[in-house]
Amino acid sequence: MRGRPACVATGLSICIRNHILTLRRTQSNDTFVHEISIALNLVEALTERAETEHVAKIEAVHIQLGKLSGVVEDALQFAWELATKDTVAEGSTLVVERVPLVVFCERCESERTIRGDPILVCPECATPAPAIVRGRELQLVAMEVTDAPASH
Amino acid sequence: MPLRVIELHQSILKKNVTLARELRDRFSQSGTFAINLLSSPGSGKTTLLEETLRRLRAQFRVAALVGDQATDADSVRLAHSGAPVRQISTGAECRLDAAMIGTALTGWDLADYDLLAIENVGNLICPAEYDLGEDLRVVLFSVTEGEDKPLKYPLAFNTADLVLVTKIDLAAAVAFEREAALANIARVHPGIEVLEVSARTGEGFDRWITFLERRVKEKQRSPVAAS
Repeated sequence: MRGRPACVATGLSICIRNHILTLRRTQSNDTFVHEISIALNLVEALTERAETEHVAKIEAVHIQLGKLSGVVEDALQFAWELATKDTVAEGSTLVVERVPLVVFCERCESERTIRGDPILVCPECATPAPAIVRGRELQLVAMEVTDAPASH
Repeated sequence: MPLRVIELHQSILKKNVTLARELRDRFSQSGTFAINLLSSPGSGKTTLLEETLRRLRAQFRVAALVGDQATDADSVRLAHSGAPVRQISTGAECRLDAAMIGTALTGWDLADYDLLAIENVGNLICPAEYDLGEDLRVVLFSVTEGEDKPLKYPLAFNTADLVLVTKIDLAAAVAFEREAALANIARVHPGIEVLEVSARTGEGFDRWITFLERRVKEKQRSPVAAS
């Protein structure tokens, strides 16, 4: 039976300190810390469920990340490696479905995909469009697992 | 060995979603109006909150929780208002979450408080994702932070219920482009209410206090509908 994620065992701050120098070149401290927290939340939920389902190994994890979710995929992938170390999810692939920002324009009476900056304005008629249809997702969809052999 | 698919279809932050719901229920039952203040470091949350608590104390029973990764400096300052204040040390975490709030409230009877102000960690990325069960989410940014601030932090501004533009007494000194800032706020959150204040000079502060008074009273009258 796998233990808790390594980062939780050693301490989140040590985890971050050990890896933050690598990331400093590519993005701010803030975004990395955010993603590692998200990754740990994810791993905790997965390991809990894996235990009740008698899973031997988690091979893949499917999630949805909305454009407006505030999570950077690259940072999350990097954090995934750290967060899954020494857990039943170690080595698993994090499969990310990116969900675009889609709003409903009252004037056009139709859904519009917002490309580029997340501005809630209809790209066709320039009317403010606060009604978000898709794009806020931070969703755990499914996991692919190999089961533990049945005991006799 | 074939892989089995286990469908989950749940929020990645399911734990926080559940705990936030529980907090929201608790605040409803006790009729406590909870506010969550978000901003970047240095926007003036603590100064604003200190003055807010001081002004509201005459009329309401107020308390505050402050989240910081280090030091208890903010809670010490807030305590000068005379309101009960507790510090939450978030350590490596860049935000408060519902679990931390639940723990911090231990020993307080929410029925004793009309308003609970939660000052979040100074950060506009991490806190945006975490519901704390609040009735009102306020995002602050000061005139010194630039007109395009809202565009840089769309999730924070999008999940907010109110935007406070702070330190307006410095607007001229930094050539703050007010119309551009208001336009940018509207672009990421069409229709959101914006108040402009200076905690230092008091300009615009009455409107903020009046706004809060109205909301706190609404909560006391109908705790569920007001949140």
